[in-house]
Amino acid sequence: MPHGNDEDHALSQRAARGDSAAFAMLVEKHERPLRGFLARTFGREVADDIAQDAFLKAWRAAGQYDGRARYSTWLTRIAWRCRVDALRRHRAPVETDAPAVGSPALSAEVDDMLGRLSERERASLVLCEGHGWTHGEAAELLGLPLGTLKSTVARAKAKCREMWEGAEHG
Amino acid sequence: MGDGFEDFLKSELAPPDRTPDRQFAMRVRAAIALEERLAAHRSSLVRGLVKQLVALGAIAAGLWWVGKAAPVASWFAGSPAVGLGVLLAAFGLLLALVGRPEGRAVGGSLSKLNGS
Repeated sequence: MPHGNDEDHALSQRAARGDSAAFAMLVEKHERPLRGFLARTFGREVADDIAQDAFLKAWRAAGQYDGRARYSTWLTRIAWRCRVDALRRHRAPVETDAPAVGSPALSAEVDDMLGRLSERERASLVLCEGHGWTHGEAAELLGLPLGTLKSTVARAKAKCREMWEGAEHG
Repeated sequence: MGDGFEDFLKSELAPPDRTPDRQFAMRVRAAIALEERLAAHRSSLVRGLVKQLVALGAIAAGLWWVGKAAPVASWFAGSPAVGLGVLLAAFGLLLALVGRPEGRAVGGSLSKLNGS
C-alpha cells in the first residue's frame, strides 16, 4: 500500500469510527482535485453538489475504503456514481457544457474546447492529462475497456489540439 | 515531444492551485451533522413505534385474558353488549395513554418550568 494511501486509510478508518475531525482532514485534502474534475467535466453549477453528495457517501462508507486504490480514485468513483444516479433521478440531459474553474482568460478557452467534447471524452481527458490518472484507473471509473479509453483520450486530445491550433496558437 | 499545446492542456486541466476550501469542508461537515441528527430521529421513531406495538399487544392480551376469567365471562354472558362496551372503553383509554408521544409530557413540564 503506497504511503499516501496509508495515511488516507488511517483517516478513513477513524472516520468510520465516527471521528468527524479525521474526515474533515480527508475533505480538505481531496476536495480540490475532486471539485476541479467535476467542474471541468459536468460544470461548476453542479460540481459542488455532486462533491458534497460524494463526501457524504464517503463518510457513510468510510469503513469500506481498504487503502488498495488511492483515496482520490475511490472518492471520484463515488462522485461519478452520484452523477449517474442524479441523472437517472432527474432525467436530465446526459451531455452538459463544461464551464469554468480557475483563471478566467485561459479557462474560457479550455472551457470552450471541453464544451465541444462529449462528457466521456472530457472526463477521460481531465483525469488522464490533468490529474495524472493512469489509463487503467480512468477506464475502470468510466466502465470502458482499456483500449477504448486510450482511443477516447487520444480523440479528445486531437480535437482540442485542432481547436487550439485553429485559435492562432499553432 | 512537449509542445505549447501539451503544456497548455496539462496546466489547464490540472486541479486548481489553491489552499483547501474550509468553507466547503464546513458545508460537508454540516451536511453530515444534519444527516446524523435525521438518522437518530428516524431510529428513535422506529424504536418508539416498536415499543408502542408491543405495549398494545400486551394490553390486548391482558384484556383477552381478563375476559376469559370465570366471573367476568359469566357477566359477559349475561350482558355481552355492556361487557364489550367496558372492554372497548378500557382499551381506548390504555391506547390513548400508550400512544401519547413521549416528548409531549416532557415539553409540557419544561414549559411549566420556564413559566411559559
